[in-house]
Amino acid sequence: MEFSHFLSALTPLNFALALFGVVAGTVIGSIPGLTATMALAILVPITFSMEPASALILLGAIYTGAIYGGAYAAILLNTPGTPSAIATTFDGYPMAKRGDGDLAVALACFASVFGGLVGAIALLFLAPPLSQVALAFGPIEYFWLSVFGLSLIASLSSGNLMKGLVGGAFGMILSTVGVAEISADIRLTFGSQTLIGGFGVVGALIGLYCVPVLIDLVAVPDRHLKVEEGVKTVRIGEAFALATRSKFNLIRSSIIGTLVGILPGAGGSVAGLVAYSEAKRTAKPDQKFGEGEPNGIMATESANSATVGGGFIPTLVLGIPGTPPDAIVLGALLVQGVRTGPAMFSQSGSIVFTFIYGLIIATVLMLPAGLLIGRYAYKSIVTVPKAVLVPTVGFMTIIGTFAIRNSVSDVIIMLCLGVFGWVVARFGFAASPIVLGLILGPIAEQGFVQGWTIGAATNNLFGMFFGRPISQGILLFTLITLILPLIVQWRKSRRFEEANQ
Amino acid sequence: MLRRTLLKTTAAAALALTFGVQAHAELNGPVNYIIPFGPGGESDISARLQQPFFAEKFGQEMVVSYQPGGGGAVGWASLNGLNGDGQTIMGVNLPHIIIKPAQKDVGFTTDSLNAFYMFHFTPDAIVVPANSPYQTLADLVNDAKANPGQVTMSGSGKASANHLAQIKFDKMTGALTTYVPFKGTGASVTALLGNQVKAQWGYTTVGAKQGDAVRMLAVAMEDRHPLFPDVPTFKELGYDMVGGAYRGIALPNTASAETTAMWSDMIGEINADPAFRQKMLDGGFAMLDISAADMPAFMADRVAEYLKDAREAGLIK
Amino acid sequence: MTPPSAMKSGGQIGSLLASLFFICAGLITLYDTTSYTDRDSQVFPQTVAIILVVTASFSFIARFLKPSDEGGFGTGIWWRRALLIIAMFLMGFLIPKIGFLPAGVVAFSGGLIAAMHERWSAKTFILYPISGAVVITAFYVLFKFVLYVPLP
Repeated sequence: MEFSHFLSALTPLNFALALFGVVAGTVIGSIPGLTATMALAILVPITFSMEPASALILLGAIYTGAIYGGAYAAILLNTPGTPSAIATTFDGYPMAKRGDGDLAVALACFASVFGGLVGAIALLFLAPPLSQVALAFGPIEYFWLSVFGLSLIASLSSGNLMKGLVGGAFGMILSTVGVAEISADIRLTFGSQTLIGGFGVVGALIGLYCVPVLIDLVAVPDRHLKVEEGVKTVRIGEAFALATRSKFNLIRSSIIGTLVGILPGAGGSVAGLVAYSEAKRTAKPDQKFGEGEPNGIMATESANSATVGGGFIPTLVLGIPGTPPDAIVLGALLVQGVRTGPAMFSQSGSIVFTFIYGLIIATVLMLPAGLLIGRYAYKSIVTVPKAVLVPTVGFMTIIGTFAIRNSVSDVIIMLCLGVFGWVVARFGFAASPIVLGLILGPIAEQGFVQGWTIGAATNNLFGMFFGRPISQGILLFTLITLILPLIVQWRKSRRFEEANQ
Repeated sequence: MLRRTLLKTTAAAALALTFGVQAHAELNGPVNYIIPFGPGGESDISARLQQPFFAEKFGQEMVVSYQPGGGGAVGWASLNGLNGDGQTIMGVNLPHIIIKPAQKDVGFTTDSLNAFYMFHFTPDAIVVPANSPYQTLADLVNDAKANPGQVTMSGSGKASANHLAQIKFDKMTGALTTYVPFKGTGASVTALLGNQVKAQWGYTTVGAKQGDAVRMLAVAMEDRHPLFPDVPTFKELGYDMVGGAYRGIALPNTASAETTAMWSDMIGEINADPAFRQKMLDGGFAMLDISAADMPAFMADRVAEYLKDAREAGLIK
Repeated sequence: MTPPSAMKSGGQIGSLLASLFFICAGLITLYDTTSYTDRDSQVFPQTVAIILVVTASFSFIARFLKPSDEGGFGTGIWWRRALLIIAMFLMGFLIPKIGFLPAGVVAFSGGLIAAMHERWSAKTFILYPISGAVVITAFYVLFKFVLYVPLP
């Protein structure tokens, strides 16, 4: 952890790589259909001719930028650019619709930088002890975590718990379509070859979020987003003030994001969801989450950016990738001849620490770069006439969906989901529960089946599911999340009645 | 006299030219190497190791992309619909491509996959955490015999190499272990390190990657792996188990014979490169050199072997 | 008092139909699980399908007993919506037949016409299609040559 590593991270080459990576990543992340994984997979060969540390810095910077970039489409088009930005749509799009889009984008930038720094600092100082968290989470913990996630979905469906649960359950069923991972069965394809691939998360995301927006945009002559006349300067100052006022929210969400990032397979979408729900639960009465509350965006964006640093913890300490982009980074390192795995910190410490400092630099660079790109993105979305915006976005969704698996049937499926999503959204069934069910389904299923297998084999089924401390904690949280709002509601109505007597 | 020689030479030259032109397939542009799994697995790592050698030897970019789903089934089902011009290749794995179609209609058949090279295999190995009470294979077997079902072993997927190995070994020892399937070797390693299970049916690559954090009890090879001279083979310990997961590359079956031959030579050339072999061995892989010419015999053997094992294991009828 | 018209409003019927759809989806899933060979692959879908049927039934009953006007397709011009969707589906079907770029032009034009509420002027008539061409080409180049996505 010597200063020399910091200096080697600051070489002109590494600095340039960090800057380039952040910018490229942001652009890629903002296009729905392009994920950080895709971007990294393409760019790995370029890193072969680089020093290992420089290669890591480039890949890490792209990853950081991509997670941030997903917020643009989430805020301005109600479509998460990457799955990690799902929760950003909850408050991001309402803010954009009422004219605060530029504020939202700036907030997302500040929050992302903050979260990214927290994650990177955790990586720097606490990696070895925190990596044990990754190991402590077994199949059962993942199962309860996804149950917790479902309960969050339900509680976030403001006013309509039932419909939220319906959506979540439906999403989970969609996740089972195709060849089962844990066994050899083929499920719910009804003999069709096209459905054997199942419903990919990214395609479903685009279909369920973006297509309904487009359908509604063409239907009415109004402008897409309200633009406040007379506001010339980008509201960076305002955003900064808001951010400093919400220090506690930012810190808490970043910690949540780091911890969730450490869990292999959890990912930015889960982190954003948990952080958002916590922020909402502890909200002050004047904060209206779900209707364009700045704290909502800050919670989700800091959490999902913190997963970048958090995800590198098990990756670099244990050789177990926290997220798919981490797996690609490991592959790139392996080619360079770096011994990944537990020996990495001790054997290749200089590479690791130079990388971490580079990650910090890249995150810091994201502040000016992100604000600049964000301002440009906002301006273009807002000023482009709707007649051109709609076909552009429509075209982008098709090319983006195609690029996932080079499959035209994916495009057709996406469009079908889109129309379906629009129809059911009109009657109270929102897109988010379905998509989140789609994401959490596999985690829940694998956790359940694996836990059951182990528990049944060791004759400890009950203890397996209910006896483990972390699981008990998660279960408790789930119950609190579900029951607390009901209690609060009940108390409110009691007080209302008493006041009226 | 001169005229006849001239005629002959011209004829010979013409013939040579035609044959030369015919047998010469070429790459034009970057190549798409599709891995039908998510990133981080053995298929991905071995592809990444091939990448720089490919670019250096043949002057073209090899672009690795991922199409996970169904334990590889989604990718393999789509292979023959892709362009057969030689610009697209896909990784294939044994026993997956043999067992999966035998179980269900997964969208492809073993014979329809145009596999042109098998370039490595990862030998099965039983892995335990470093702090495990099992010091030798005998410890594990005795524990399994004394407590049937209580020895939990993680592995990647169902009806996969790991699963087959577990069933086969149980039959040999007469003990009963419990197999817990995970999505990919990475997840099963995590479970092992977190002590969620007692042992893992993994590969030598796990031992190479995790180093001192794990201990391998036995490997399924003919001779000990050069990287692990202290780890006995199953054969030494009295169990006739040699095998693992084999990995190779395939083209869409619409590719021409020339293209297939060209690719087989290219991959063979990479495989012969001592620097490449060393990198693979350092990673815990074991090398294999089955080119397109040897493929039919190799596959016939493997199909017979795996189908027999799978039938005995009760995985297929 | 809920107005009697709410019983028959679009929002009411649509909401009930949607709930009904989900109930059916759950039942179909349950039926499908009977064909699985491995017990492991049945457990999860069955549990979730039951949850789906139960919650969707609750939703159905709750809405049935308390009819309201909420929901519905709202105002909005139908032919535009249809045009957009048809154009996008058309592109999907045409990609393998006529290639990516021509199919893209089809989708873009459809979307452009669908979204154009104002009257066409000379300026817009020229500018918009050109911007469309630029956008399509830019994305095509980005995906095909930078990201190596094999676009037909």
